[in-house]
Amino acid sequence: MSDNRAQFLDRAAALRDAFDRSFAEPLPPDPPPFADLLAIRIGTEPYALRLCEIAGLFADRKITPIASRVPALLGIVGHHGAIVPVYDLHVLLEHRAVDATRWLATAADTPVAFAFAAQEGQLRCRPDAIVPHQSDGPARRHAREFIRIADLVRPIVDLGAVIAELRRQVPAKLNAANLNMEEC
Amino acid sequence: MFGSWTFAKKLALGYGLAALTLLVIAAVSYRTTDELVANDDRLIESYAFQAALADLLSDLVDIETGARGYVVTGDSAFLEPYQVALGEVKGHQSTVTALVAGNPARQSKVAAMQPAIVRKLEHARKLVDTRNNAGFDAAAKLVANNEGKAEMDQIRAILGDLDRQESERIGSLVAAGKTNAQWTLAIILWGGLAGVVVVAAIGWLIIRSLTKQIGTAVQHVSSSSTELQAAANQQATGLREQATAMSEITTTITELLVTSRQIAESAQRVAQIAAQTAGGARSGQGAVDLAQDAIGGIRRQVDQIVAYMLDLGRKSQQIGAVLDIVSELAEQTNILAINATIEAAGAGDSGRRFAVVADEIRKLADRVGGSTKEIRALIDDVRSAVNTTVMATETGSKAVDSGSKQFDDVASGFRQIAELVGTTTDAAREIELSTKQQTTAVEQVNIAVANVAQASHETEASAGQTLQTASELAHLSTDLARIIRPQAVAA
Repeated sequence: MSDNRAQFLDRAAALRDAFDRSFAEPLPPDPPPFADLLAIRIGTEPYALRLCEIAGLFADRKITPIASRVPALLGIVGHHGAIVPVYDLHVLLEHRAVDATRWLATAADTPVAFAFAAQEGQLRCRPDAIVPHQSDGPARRHAREFIRIADLVRPIVDLGAVIAELRRQVPAKLNAANLNMEEC
Repeated sequence: MFGSWTFAKKLALGYGLAALTLLVIAAVSYRTTDELVANDDRLIESYAFQAALADLLSDLVDIETGARGYVVTGDSAFLEPYQVALGEVKGHQSTVTALVAGNPARQSKVAAMQPAIVRKLEHARKLVDTRNNAGFDAAAKLVANNEGKAEMDQIRAILGDLDRQESERIGSLVAAGKTNAQWTLAIILWGGLAGVVVVAAIGWLIIRSLTKQIGTAVQHVSSSSTELQAAANQQATGLREQATAMSEITTTITELLVTSRQIAESAQRVAQIAAQTAGGARSGQGAVDLAQDAIGGIRRQVDQIVAYMLDLGRKSQQIGAVLDIVSELAEQTNILAINATIEAAGAGDSGRRFAVVADEIRKLADRVGGSTKEIRALIDDVRSAVNTTVMATETGSKAVDSGSKQFDDVASGFRQIAELVGTTTDAAREIELSTKQQTTAVEQVNIAVANVAQASHETEASAGQTLQTASELAHLSTDLARIIRPQAVAA
């Protein structure tokens, strides 16, 4: 019992030191380039989203369902005074739809949001950690790149490709939005 | 009728007839012999009387001769016969007087002779006195007057008459004796012959009858001895088997005796162990009582533990609620940090510092979230442990209840064990006592069986002797049959 207490105290002290050190140390003059990713889980498969492709992450937002012939469309949600459609990322990535899609990520530069069941935190990695899809690897829809972290390979969802797919399915509505996706 | 008589009767009749024959012969012989003896006595008496008469006459002659010789010669030597005869004449007179007692005729003649004898003796003395005093002449005159001669002649006549009569009597006695002797010889001869014939006839009849009866009896004895021999042989065989069986029984009883002793020792050990077990059961009952008290204490402690654990569970739930808030705050912080990072990235170079802050906040939120997860895991572990502990405690409480009940049962069982062990102790002691009595009885039975075995051996020996005796009896009957009916045995 005393060993656990000491362990917890040491850990708290380490956290405190790290937190204080982050403010105490000077900023690197030329920090190395990095890529920020958002680790998510689609069904049982791990995925990642580029933070540069999303405009925000939200949880437990109320989605107003609407009738549509598009299977992936869950409904609409209000975001910064605008109404954006919400699509189920599980369906778009050809996974089984789930009932509880707690998380919502809005796409950058496009008024559309994607719902998914779970997010597993932010990932920051070097750019060379991101590798393109290889022909002999497992095929994932709308995933051209992968990131390997501790033997775990996460396909990186290409939201631009997803939005292009949506555009093909509902071109009138999306074209009315007149949005463009750019590489980040 | 004669055939149905017994040996004693037949022998008595035979010997009786023989004895009667002999008795008749003996009686007749006795009578004739007695008459012959009496005749001889009378002859002896007559001869003695004649001898006494002769002696008396000789005395008187010697007296007369001696007196006359002395008178003639004057020689005293002639007086010696005189003196001797004078001394004996009285005795001879008394003998003659005695011999004629009971015979009046002789008594009268002897009485008539007595005075003459007195006078003769007086005359002789007178001659001798005269010769001595007066000499030869005076004495010769006395001789010449024939006084002495007349006395002597009278005496001679009486003695001669008595002697003649006695001779006649002797003659008749001799004739009678001869007749008696002839009768006696005839009786002895013919009586003996008749006796022999009678005895021979009786013997023949008895022999014939006895031979017949003894032969039949010998046949029966032979048959019976054969049967007895077979029976004795069979008895000896049976007794040998019986002796063998008794020996086996003795061996078995000896083994049974050893087993009974072992059982007695085991029963004694069982009694001792049962007594020890009774003590142990009593100690166990005391221990069970103490354990019941301890279980009551445990039950109370368990109830307190359950209460504490339930309180701890409630506190854990409260901590979980607080932790939910912390976790939600961490999540919101994390979302905020991610969005800040997104915004910083959108701000370009001006947002780099903000990106650093946002990243640190995100890291802090991640760490808080991780810690929150760990705390939640710990709380879950605590709650699970509490639930498990509560369940285990409730299970333990139930187990304690069950254990208490089981201890009640155990206490009751110990009491029953103590009672049963007491009963077992009594039973073991009774078994021990009974087994000892049984051992004693078995020893007595063993001794009795040994005696019976000894008696069987002795009876076997006796049966052997009986067999030998039966064999000897068979041989004896054969010998007896050979003796009484040799032709039948030879056939």
